[in-house]
Order: sequence, then structure tokens, then C-alpha cells
Amino acid sequence: MDATTILFWIFASISCAAAVAVVATQNVVRMAFWLIVSLGSVAGLYFLLSADFVAATQLLIYVGGTLVLLIFGVMLTATGPYSQIRTSPGEALLAGGVGSLFLAMIITTVVSVDWDSLAAIQQQDPSYASYAHEPGFNPAEEGNTARPLGLKMLGISLEDLGRTDGSLSHGYLLPFEIVSIHLLVVLIGASYLARAKRRSRPDQPS
Amino acid sequence: MTFDQILQQLVDTTAGTYGPFEWSAAYFRQTFEIFMTSSLGRFSPEIILCITIVSLLKLRLFNCDRWIPPYATALVGSIVAVGLALYQFQTLRMSAEPVVAEFFTGLMIYDQFTVYFRLLLLIFLVLVVALTVVSGIPDRDDGPDFYTLLFGAAVGMMMMAGANHLLILFLSIEMASVPSYAMVGFLKGRRPSSEASLKYVVYGAGSAGVMLYGLSLLTGLLGTATLISVDGSTPDLASRLGLVLAGNTAGTAASLVSNPGLTILLAILMVFVGLAFKLSIVPFHFWCPDAFEGAAAEVGGFLSVASKAGAFALLVRFCIALTGNPDPSLAGLNLSLGIGLGVAAAVTATFGNLAAYSQKNMKRLLAYSTIAHAGYMLMAVSALVIIRGANPSGVPGLTSAGLDAEARRCLEALLYYLAVYLFMNLGAFAIVALIRNQIFSEEIEDYRGLAGEAPVLCVCMLICLFSLVGLPPLGGFWAKLEIFASLFQAGRVHWFMWVVLGIAAVNTVFSLFYYMRVLKSMFLTERPVGARSALVPFRSAPGLYVVMVSVPVLLLGVLAGPLSQTANNVARILLR
Repeated sequence: MDATTILFWIFASISCAAAVAVVATQNVVRMAFWLIVSLGSVAGLYFLLSADFVAATQLLIYVGGTLVLLIFGVMLTATGPYSQIRTSPGEALLAGGVGSLFLAMIITTVVSVDWDSLAAIQQQDPSYASYAHEPGFNPAEEGNTARPLGLKMLGISLEDLGRTDGSLSHGYLLPFEIVSIHLLVVLIGASYLARAKRRSRPDQPS
Repeated sequence: MTFDQILQQLVDTTAGTYGPFEWSAAYFRQTFEIFMTSSLGRFSPEIILCITIVSLLKLRLFNCDRWIPPYATALVGSIVAVGLALYQFQTLRMSAEPVVAEFFTGLMIYDQFTVYFRLLLLIFLVLVVALTVVSGIPDRDDGPDFYTLLFGAAVGMMMMAGANHLLILFLSIEMASVPSYAMVGFLKGRRPSSEASLKYVVYGAGSAGVMLYGLSLLTGLLGTATLISVDGSTPDLASRLGLVLAGNTAGTAASLVSNPGLTILLAILMVFVGLAFKLSIVPFHFWCPDAFEGAAAEVGGFLSVASKAGAFALLVRFCIALTGNPDPSLAGLNLSLGIGLGVAAAVTATFGNLAAYSQKNMKRLLAYSTIAHAGYMLMAVSALVIIRGANPSGVPGLTSAGLDAEARRCLEALLYYLAVYLFMNLGAFAIVALIRNQIFSEEIEDYRGLAGEAPVLCVCMLICLFSLVGLPPLGGFWAKLEIFASLFQAGRVHWFMWVVLGIAAVNTVFSLFYYMRVLKSMFLTERPVGARSALVPFRSAPGLYVVMVSVPVLLLGVLAGPLSQTANNVARILLR
């Protein structure tokens, strides 16, 4: 058992345990804290997978942004100092039952797949051969994924370097740009729902 | 390829080169034509909507919305987008050889199917904006917010029709859903409205989570996220499915219960959960009646038609991608998919019709009727999957070409149904909104005797509801007939489709009763003494609007030929 495996088990068990704790606690602020722990250790898992850009994004956006916002939201909107969420035993039993059934289904199906041989099968695809698999600027094994990912967002795929048949693989320019329109629309919707209804007064400039 | 070559290829996506600039009509026309073959040009209707959104907000920022009303900006934007989509459709229809092209490096696909749905959705958008002008539901202050949400959702729905990548599939569903949550809660200060919005959000978030898990599982198992590869350069779902499942013992459904077929089936099922939520298929329909009852009728009309149309386009794209491999080892997967969809469709139609029977609120009744109609339309998709997955030698009396023709007919039925459904359902919701403006009620009880006071609204309601039932000579009749015909043909492949056909027929008869109850209340009872009067003359904006929406329902019933021919062409190119 090498260090990576040990670290994997540590991060994996922390993220699972913290996720259970999010559901089990009844205090909203504590829930947010456990969520920080859980999402932080998921970022650790990403680092172990050499996906450094995704891991950094996870830390910046979820832990740094969303959760701070969540805690602000709780602080600003809660009527009492610690708002509690209580569930009746029946609800807890039902939700727990459905949740564990779902978990059991996912675990049995995912574990039943032999992922190594599946990867080998996928590489038999004739179109796989059209990639030359020459090392690009940064091989994925070394981490350092920010540049390939950033170029993907602009529509350029570094894995096409040395590709022989002249076609392009997917670049993600469209999702990257259209999400900004989506976020704008959602922001407008959120601000509309949050603000009080304006009364128009024709005699005064608003 | 070197980096420079990649860059060159990325930028140079047009079919021609731009000439030197000159001030002449010929130059501008040529430049426009070349531009429309680039990725941006193919995406131009959506871009126009995005520009409209930004201009709506800018106009309010500079206080210009006091001189230019928001609805005018919205109308102009959507009409320009319709114009561009019409140009695209016309160009595709006239082109000598069928155009099927990827754009944005294969994330989206541009063919007649995409543009047909674009056109349908944009025409619908214009009609909805016109309805909001007539019924005045977002007032002048809230106009920019409302149209921003409306157009943002419409961009998502239009992207659904052209999605060719699992990422776009998810993104477009979210782009269509999230603004819809806010639109359902648009009437602020009303408890049912906020409650409906919250229910919609919670269901939406749950189903999106399940779908995202399914998508990641599917991508991981197959090693690709492309739905259909046009030139075969990238691996797509169908080819990878064949590759991964070919290791199994071939042919039977039993082979699915093994590694990794079962996991693939689970992943596909989870993706269907997300789609079924958008389509309000039983058992993912719970949000639908509450959301429609809480939302304004205009929003209900928009959601019931546009989000269904987009989601059906996406479902068809996904199903065609899954069934694209003729390998016999996938026949079991295709058959179980088709039968699963058929069961869901039959249950949905039956449930929707049964539940609609006891409703007292008109919007709730229409919500259940929407669920039932989603069921009918899903039947066409299930017939399509069954026929596409059939082995030509295993079906007596049908050749391979015959099977292709039948698959086209299924899709034609769906496309025709959606076009008719656009007008008839929008008509029904519009009339509910316009009556609400007069009598401040949406209860069927309060509709008694309205025919004497607002004959235009009531007669148009009669046309729309009879068309929803599927009575001749209205558009809904041909739509239902085509779906039933395709179900009958699919029954020759697998007998279960005949069961679905029987259930659909019984449902049609049953739906007559609850639609008739509304009409009976409108036409055959006296207006109670002291009830609010609802005088809507023919020559008024509401009167003319409902006539404008109802006439196509009649026209599509009398002249079914052109549209069904167009739909057949669209289907032929999609299923080539």
C-alpha cells in the first residue's frame, strides 16, 4: 500500500463521513461546516487524480465561494441565532430507506463493471488510432492541466497535436460562453424574486 | 496537425471566403450567405435572442424603457430570430443534397430537425410575447425581467433541439429549467405561486442530480460523449455501445443482465429520469399540476408547449443515438428501451386523463391534459425506438426499406403533433388568461354561461379543446391518427405496441368527457345572476388574438398535406 492509496482512503472516508454528518445534523450552520469538510476532501481526491485544475476550482468555487455565500445567507435570513431543521422519525426512516436502496443499486452496478477491461475495449475503437498520442505540452500524468483545459474552453484541443486525419476533437467554447448568458438570466431571475415589488410612480423618475 | 493548423481549422469553418469589401447589395448578400455557413451563423437565432436579453437590460439601465416598452424590444428580437430561422429552414429545404453538419467543433448539429424545432419554438415565442401584450401580465416595471427569463429559457430549449453532446444535453436542460422556476414564481406575493415555484425547484434539482450521475456513468462506460458523429471521425454512442456490449452473448434481453450491460441500462435510465421530468412523464409529473396552477396562465402555456417541444427533440436525438447501431447484439437493449418507453407512455396518458376528470380548476385540468398529451407523444417515440431496433428479417411483410419508411412515419407523427399542439394548447391557455382578466377566476364553475357574453373566446376554446380530444376536422385529429398509425405498424415488430395502441384509443374516448364538461359549462348553462360580466367583442385585441391562434388549428385539420410532407422530409434527413 503506497502513500497515494493511503491518502485516497483518508480523503474518501472523510468526505463520506462529512456527507453523512451534513444530513444527520439539524443545525444549519453546522451543516454548512460539514459541507466544507466534505467538499474540501473531494478536492483532495481530485488532486490525487492529477486533476489539479478541477481540484483548485473545487476549492475556490465550492469551499471559497458557494459555502461562504451559504453561511452569509443563513446568517442574514435566519430568524433565530441557530435555525434548526427537524425531521419526523417517519420521514427520516422513509428517506433513509430510499437513500440506501439507491446507494445499494449504484454500488452493485458500478462494482460489477470490470473497468480495466472496459478501457481496453474502448481503445480497440478504430477512431482511437487517429490520435497519435504524442506527448503534448503537458502530459496529463504530470498534473498541470490548467493550460489544456483553458485552451479547451477556447475551442482548441491540444490532444489534436499530431493527429493525422485533420478533424478536430471537441472544444468547449460554446458551453463556456453560453453559460454566461445562462448565469445572467438566472441572476436577473433571482434578483427579481428577492426584491420587493416596485410601485411605478409616473410623476417621479425612478 | 501543428498548433497553427488546429487554430486555422477552428477559425476557418465557413463554406467560402469573404471577398473584398464593396458597397453593393450583391456583396452583402454573398457575405451573409457565407456567414450563415459558419458556426456563429448557424447559431444566429439563439444569438439574436441573447442580444435581445442584453438590450432589454441595457434599455432599462438607461431608463429608455419609458419610451420603448419592453414588449416592443422583445417582439422585435423574436421576430428577427424567426426571420433568420425561416431563412435557414428555406435554405436547407432548397439545398440539392441533405445538409447535416456539426458546428462548434461537433457539440451541436445543424440539420432540418434542428431548424424545424427552432422555427417552431421561435414562432411560439412570438405568440407568447404577443399574448403577454394582450393580457398585460408583466406590467411595465417587470417587463424586462419577465422577457429576460422567457428568452433565456427559449435559448435553452432551442439548444436542446441541436444538442449533439452529452454536456450540451445537460446544459440545455438546465438552461431551460432554471429560468422556468423563476417564471412559475413570477406572481409575487401569492402563496400558491411561490409554493409552486419551490416544488418545481426541488423536483428539478433532484432529477437534474440523478441525470447528471447517469450522464457521467454513461460517459465513463462508453468513453465518449458524442451523440452522433456525422463523419465518423469521433467515436459516438452507437459505435461504442456496440463495442462495449459485443463481448456479451448476443441477441437476447437476458444478456443485458451481465457486466457491463446492466450498468449501461442503469445509466440510460437515469438520463431518462431527467428527460421525463421535463416531459412530466409519470412518475415524474408531480410538479406539473401544482406549478401550472400556481403560475400565471401565460407561463403555463409557455412551459406546457415550449419545454415539451424542446425535451422531445432532445429525447429523439438521444434515442436515435442509442439505437443507431444495427448490430444484432444490441437488439435486446433497443427492444427493452422501446417497451419501457411504451409502458411509461401508456401509464402517463392514462393517469393524466383519469386525474383530469375530477379537476375543478381550469389550469389544473389543462396541466393534467398536458401530462396526457406528453404520454401520446411519447408513444410515437417508443414506436420509433421499436422500429429502429427491429431486425428486418424478423418482421414478416416488412423489408428494410419498409422499416425505414415506418420509422420516418413515427417521427413525422411526433413533429406534426407538436406543431398542432403548439397552437391548440397555447390557445387554451391564452383563453384561460383572457377570461381571468375579465372575471378574475379560473374555476370551471365560474365559466358557466360565458358563451353568451364572450362568444369569440368560447368558440375558440371549443376549437382548441375539440382538437385536443382529436376530433375531425381539426388538426389534433390528424396528429392523433398519425401516431396511432405508427403504433399499429410498430405492433408488427412487437405485439406490445398494439396494447399501447388500445390504451391510447380508450384514453382518447375518455378524454372527451372532461373537455366536454368545460364546454358544457360554457355553452349549455345560464350565466348565474350577479356574476361578473365578461364582455369580449370580436373586434378587440383579445378577440383577434384567440382567432389568430385558433385558425391554424382549423387550417392544419383541413390542409394536413404540406405540414406532414415537411415533417416527413425532416424525418428522412434525420434518420438517413
